[in-house]
Amino acid sequence: MKIPGFLPFAVGALAALAAGWAAFPHAIYKTERQPVDFSHKVHADKAGQKCDDCHSFRADGTFAGIPSLDKCAGCHAAPMGTTAAEKSFIDQYVTPNHEPQWFDYARQPQNVWFSHTTHVKLGGLKCESCHGAMGDSDSLRPYQEDRISGYSRDIWGRPVVRAAFRTEGGMKMDDCVACHRQRGFTHSCLDCHK
Amino acid sequence: MTTTRRNLFKLAGGAAVGAMFTPAPWRLITDAALLSETWPGVPKPKRGEVSFQFGNCGLCPAGCAVRARSIGGQPVSLAGVAGHPLSHGALCAFGVAGHHLPYHPGRLKSGPAAQAAAAVRAALGQLRDTEHCAVLDLRPGRTASWTYRRAMASLHNGIYLTPEAPVVVNLSAARTVLSLGAGLYDNWGTPGNVIAAREQFRLFQAEPVESRTAVMADVWLPIRPASEDALALGIAHLLLAEKAVAGLPAGFIDRVKEFPPAVAAERTGIAEAQIAALAGELREHAPSLVIDEAGSPYATALNVILGAPGHTLVTRREAPVPDAWKNAASAADLAAVRDGSIRVLLIDESAPGDACPWNEIQPKLADHAAVVTFACSEEGYGRHANFVLPTAVYPEIVDDIPPAVDSPAAAFRLSAALMPPPDGMTNPADFIGALVGIDPKNALQDRAEAIRKSGRGSLFVPSTACSTPTKDVKPADFWKLLQAGATWIDDIDPRAAAPKLEIPALPVETRAAAFPLVVAATEAGTPAVGSPLLSKIYQESGLRLAPAGVAMHPSDARASGLEAGSRARFETASGSVAVSVTLDAAIPRGVVEIGGGPGIRNLCGARTSARVVRS
Amino acid sequence: MTESGKPVKAARYGMAIDIDRCTGCGACMVACAVENNIPPAHEGVTDRKGITWIRVYKVDNGAADAGRRSAFVPVLCQHCGKDTPCVHVCPQQAVDVDPSTGVVGEIPTRCLGCRYCVAACPYHARYFNWWDPAWPAGMEKTMNPDVAPRMRGVVEKCNFCHGRWHEARQRAAADGKPVTEPVAYLPACAEACPTRAITFGDLNDPANAASVAAHGAGSFRLLEKLDTDPKIHYISKRDWVRAIADAPRPGNGKESTRG
Repeated sequence: MKIPGFLPFAVGALAALAAGWAAFPHAIYKTERQPVDFSHKVHADKAGQKCDDCHSFRADGTFAGIPSLDKCAGCHAAPMGTTAAEKSFIDQYVTPNHEPQWFDYARQPQNVWFSHTTHVKLGGLKCESCHGAMGDSDSLRPYQEDRISGYSRDIWGRPVVRAAFRTEGGMKMDDCVACHRQRGFTHSCLDCHK
Repeated sequence: MTTTRRNLFKLAGGAAVGAMFTPAPWRLITDAALLSETWPGVPKPKRGEVSFQFGNCGLCPAGCAVRARSIGGQPVSLAGVAGHPLSHGALCAFGVAGHHLPYHPGRLKSGPAAQAAAAVRAALGQLRDTEHCAVLDLRPGRTASWTYRRAMASLHNGIYLTPEAPVVVNLSAARTVLSLGAGLYDNWGTPGNVIAAREQFRLFQAEPVESRTAVMADVWLPIRPASEDALALGIAHLLLAEKAVAGLPAGFIDRVKEFPPAVAAERTGIAEAQIAALAGELREHAPSLVIDEAGSPYATALNVILGAPGHTLVTRREAPVPDAWKNAASAADLAAVRDGSIRVLLIDESAPGDACPWNEIQPKLADHAAVVTFACSEEGYGRHANFVLPTAVYPEIVDDIPPAVDSPAAAFRLSAALMPPPDGMTNPADFIGALVGIDPKNALQDRAEAIRKSGRGSLFVPSTACSTPTKDVKPADFWKLLQAGATWIDDIDPRAAAPKLEIPALPVETRAAAFPLVVAATEAGTPAVGSPLLSKIYQESGLRLAPAGVAMHPSDARASGLEAGSRARFETASGSVAVSVTLDAAIPRGVVEIGGGPGIRNLCGARTSARVVRS
Repeated sequence: MTESGKPVKAARYGMAIDIDRCTGCGACMVACAVENNIPPAHEGVTDRKGITWIRVYKVDNGAADAGRRSAFVPVLCQHCGKDTPCVHVCPQQAVDVDPSTGVVGEIPTRCLGCRYCVAACPYHARYFNWWDPAWPAGMEKTMNPDVAPRMRGVVEKCNFCHGRWHEARQRAAADGKPVTEPVAYLPACAEACPTRAITFGDLNDPANAASVAAHGAGSFRLLEKLDTDPKIHYISKRDWVRAIADAPRPGNGKESTRG
């Protein structure tokens, strides 16, 4: 039987399409679990904490980011609940005074300057606008990182395809610029780059 | 289906075309570009909380006040403290990068401490009656210096040696200053003080090379090399002709007679009229002052003639010490030590100030003397010592900084420890104290307490930029404030006698043919060690001559077979060091300008004779 | 590139550098390198390949011997406000002039390293990274997190210590001040200068020291004939120093053709 001449071509094309659309997004991202199974919901509900109790602003305007161990140890010197996760946290981190190596979902590249104070205090932006409803989550979702560039999946945006005119929760420059344009802020390169 | 090559190519082609319609290649291109920016080849600064800490810079006796900015406890930058009564907010190019010193690649990381201690103990045990154990302290006046003096006093034949202390200068009292090659703008005294006082005096800079001080002076006198003494004698001649001055040695008067203005003009290359005008200004616009880099007796005599003692040259009392320390040894005169009598020599160059040329020390050493030097690099006396023991560097230790030459009042201030020292460092005060059973652990605090008890002076606190009299500072606060960077400044003693200037024996003028060049040590004042970032002012801009560099006139270089960038050896009677040669037609013939650094500083001072030979 | 949006009170940050006060100490050069994470020189670097965002040149009046007078001139990016040469020539649009501060901002991550701007800059104020930064072991810990380090192959230059401007803006925001007001801050070179020869401030504000000096007597700018509207004003009472400002470049005028 004569094989149609275009078959190898078609097979190759289909294989590439399948690999590129289905397999590639999985392959390009490395998934890691956070070192501690932390529940924002528990701390917001039971401990009555708001975002900036731990993710605080200092007097000079700098943002503390992910809190350091002494913040946690302030309450968790001894177990406050009954979960295994808390016990292992105390044994592995609090007692030996070892900082957990958290994975930062929103870590921007080195040359980006982002001032939380300006956006939150002056701009009135809520934490959820950019970081999502973290406060309602009962556990920390896995951290996904691009194997080659090292940037978090949250920066690029969850979909692997990003067309320039769509902003789906990513934190790339286009996303910042789109929001700035919408609100009519003058900007120049060095406003956000360092 | 047959697997022909054509089918394979079709498959590959299809795959390529298909791939273009997937995100993969586009994403990979972007990622590759991002990877080039995030790869480990470019180190990333660490983030953290910003904090500030006050201290004082320990790189040189100026001890300028410093404010350190730290990120997560790591100092990342240093700046001066505005309004400080001594440093006036100034910090020099070296001080600004002082926090890099702990990471200097040339830094010694380990040394034979145990071996050195054993060798010293053995030598001490065998010390004959006529032999000495000596400590050479390159920055006297510190609390550690008192530990050495106490240690040497408690040893049977201990002697304490320091470079000759210059007479204290009160620059703000001066109206006319004649500098014979002293680099007032080149890390002399306290930079901030020189700048603050500068408006009030006319500066005449006499030196063969146009240094930074010569550029900033009111008048630059481009004298012939090694003719500073002739200039001093010519001026003295004119001044003494007008009015005789008592107390000058007869030998000096005879010399002065040999230098009427015409002779001085001929020797120095400066016009007679200009020398006369200079003498006139020194006399009319008093108080005047002569500062001589080389400390020549003619300059000292000229200061006596000008009546500088008591006005621009003053006596300064030392910061108080605990009574228990008062039996400490005083500084011995190196020249008076018998040749070959020093069996153990311990050199503290961890906090360097002036240098003491090795060729003056060497004859005093006994055969097989044990020489131990405490330093952070091997460049200084390490060349000559049996043991080099590494010490912590300035931002790692708390140490006190004695007042600079231009501070009329005593000062006590501490350099802050911004980060811990690495393991394996030796503390010279501990080492030397241990030889005789003195524990200097609380010495700084004890001295601070003695100062506080004396009730003298005032305390400047940088965080408030306010001075409070010592009497009004709470006892518990005094030491705490000092540790937080405060500076104690003594009162000026109104009854202090004017310093008695000893005019040393007049030198015999010898110019060895073997060393035809005269050294212009314009960079002599630079701190012994500096951050690697100082390449900005050295190689990357040519603004200053780098430490391992010499600059000479092209003709002189050619005569020695040297070209720009040649590797050569700079040699004096004291020894030699490897240098790199720069050519500069602005340097007069017969002069070689040297860079800073301990390698050269310990070989010569200003106006030494030298040569540069191919290596 | 820049876009206009809400009106802001535009600042024109500039400097007044008093050449008569500059002693050539180089503290500004070292402080700049400390603040901006500029690494120490590579082995064998010369003054043609070094990176000195601010560089102090020694100039003289050309006379010999007794008539010779010298001075020190710190030269840095002049932040040209008009027909900015580097902005014009960049094929990547990696440089822009910020309308709200007047600062000419270089984005090294966008640069592709063609060095057209290095050639175009009349003030020799742009520097190319011939090598990746090489820090002695451990010294990279002293880097300033407010400034991003650059890799090899890109051009960099002074940006008036924009990291400090960011920090001042953030502090103002923490105090509740609106973004539309210019902030007062001090770049590393101005802070480090022991003689206060370098003053910095908003040239639009008639009250600050830099503005007063810049518009005062004895003030001039380098290469005024090029009409680039530089924001660095130099002060000197000496005529021969002012004459240098029109010369091809400070220094001995000898061009080296080697690299």
